[in-house]
Amino acid sequence: MAMAMGCLLPPEPSQAAYREHQSTWSPYENNGGTCVAIAGLDYCVIAADTRMSVGFSILTREHSKIFQLSEKCILASSGFQADIRTLQKHLDARHKIYQHEHNKQMSCPAMAQLLSNTLYYKRFFPYYAFNVVGGLDNEGKGCVYTYDAVGSYERVGYSSQGSGMQLIMPVLDNQLKSASPLLLPAKESATSLTESEAIDLIKDTFASAAERDIYTGDSMELLVVNASGIRREYMELKKD
Amino acid sequence: MFLTRSEYDRGVNTFSPEGRLFQVEYAIEAIKLGSTAVGLKTKQGVVLAVEKRITSSLLEPSSVEKIMEIDEHIGCAMSGLTADARTLVEHARVETQNHRFSYNEPMNAESTTQAICDLALRFGEGSDESMSRPFGVSLLIAGHDEYGPCLYHTDPSGTFWQCDAKAIGSGSEGADSSLQEHYNKEMTLEEAETLALSTLKQVMEEKVTASNVDIAKVAPKFHLYTPAEVEVVIARL
Repeated sequence: MAMAMGCLLPPEPSQAAYREHQSTWSPYENNGGTCVAIAGLDYCVIAADTRMSVGFSILTREHSKIFQLSEKCILASSGFQADIRTLQKHLDARHKIYQHEHNKQMSCPAMAQLLSNTLYYKRFFPYYAFNVVGGLDNEGKGCVYTYDAVGSYERVGYSSQGSGMQLIMPVLDNQLKSASPLLLPAKESATSLTESEAIDLIKDTFASAAERDIYTGDSMELLVVNASGIRREYMELKKD
Repeated sequence: MFLTRSEYDRGVNTFSPEGRLFQVEYAIEAIKLGSTAVGLKTKQGVVLAVEKRITSSLLEPSSVEKIMEIDEHIGCAMSGLTADARTLVEHARVETQNHRFSYNEPMNAESTTQAICDLALRFGEGSDESMSRPFGVSLLIAGHDEYGPCLYHTDPSGTFWQCDAKAIGSGSEGADSSLQEHYNKEMTLEEAETLALSTLKQVMEEKVTASNVDIAKVAPKFHLYTPAEVEVVIARL
């Protein structure tokens, strides 16, 4: 009986062949994109392109990577859109709870620490998100915080994250080169550029990154945070 | 009185028909048996002073701890069942350190006070680990945060008030009226130290010495006075 059944069943594929045909599913996707932020003495500029792609396909040309966390704190993220969206919603909820508990908005340095902890709490199944936080600190000075995917972070004068960072970061280093954070006494991290100089520099770096990086393009969204509030600008980028 | 309160003062969370929680009211009464504590706010900082009842000459005065540090910018003085206060202070210490961990900033004094009151109200719930009765202690919480110096008063009902000056404990009625008379917002920290101690002196049965009072300030960091520093304030009386 057992032999008869064996004849009716299709031949079993060999273990090796079976493995080759098994589809490999990943919980992550890379949707590309580039973020840049520059801190000045009394302002902060945060920018990101609006292209969302996967492989050689563009999913949309107008997807914002920038999220306003509070009146003086902006988050720009590239990586996996679903993880980024979840992270934004999580921080937004935490901020609402904070406001109820403490009757004030979270400061940018506090939000920066919260983001670090949030990322580290998913140390072994991380959010696939590469973040830059920009805004004004408690003294009204511009601040930029840059992160890795698992929450290691640093306050800097300028930073870039995402698919175009390898193209943009050396240009920013060349133009702004900040003092080593290890120097004692600590040097001012904010750059000495004026607000409009910083905006022009960011526009130039995006125009160049869009030439070489296929994941950066379509248009650039730019936010300026200063004492008078938040201003938003857009600039067209290459669409090919 | 016994008739009207019968039955309704048994369960800690049972309202009487008049809408009162007797166990909470009794806990507030318990504070009035405690040693006196006073707190004064000035523009430079907050002063706390407490009476320590040294019941025996064989008692080590430094082991009577009625002023405790919550965080480096928040301190508290207590009156009532001081053992209950330790639970509240421990909770506040965890909350303030958690806040530092999460947000890399000190926790505001009002939020810390609210956190203490949240716990003070959490009695009679569940079975293990939680408090079966109201906390029989009142606190004076002194803090210095982004809004400047501040003083809060909490009671066993989980309510809190912000004050310029406040006395709690057995001598609180006399001390409060004395504070109302002599306190003014423009006082210096040194004047506040003197007023705090002279107010205590009025309501204390024993003579004020460096071993039967404790003084602390938050200006802007918490500091508990050494016996030598207390001696200096006593000399000014």
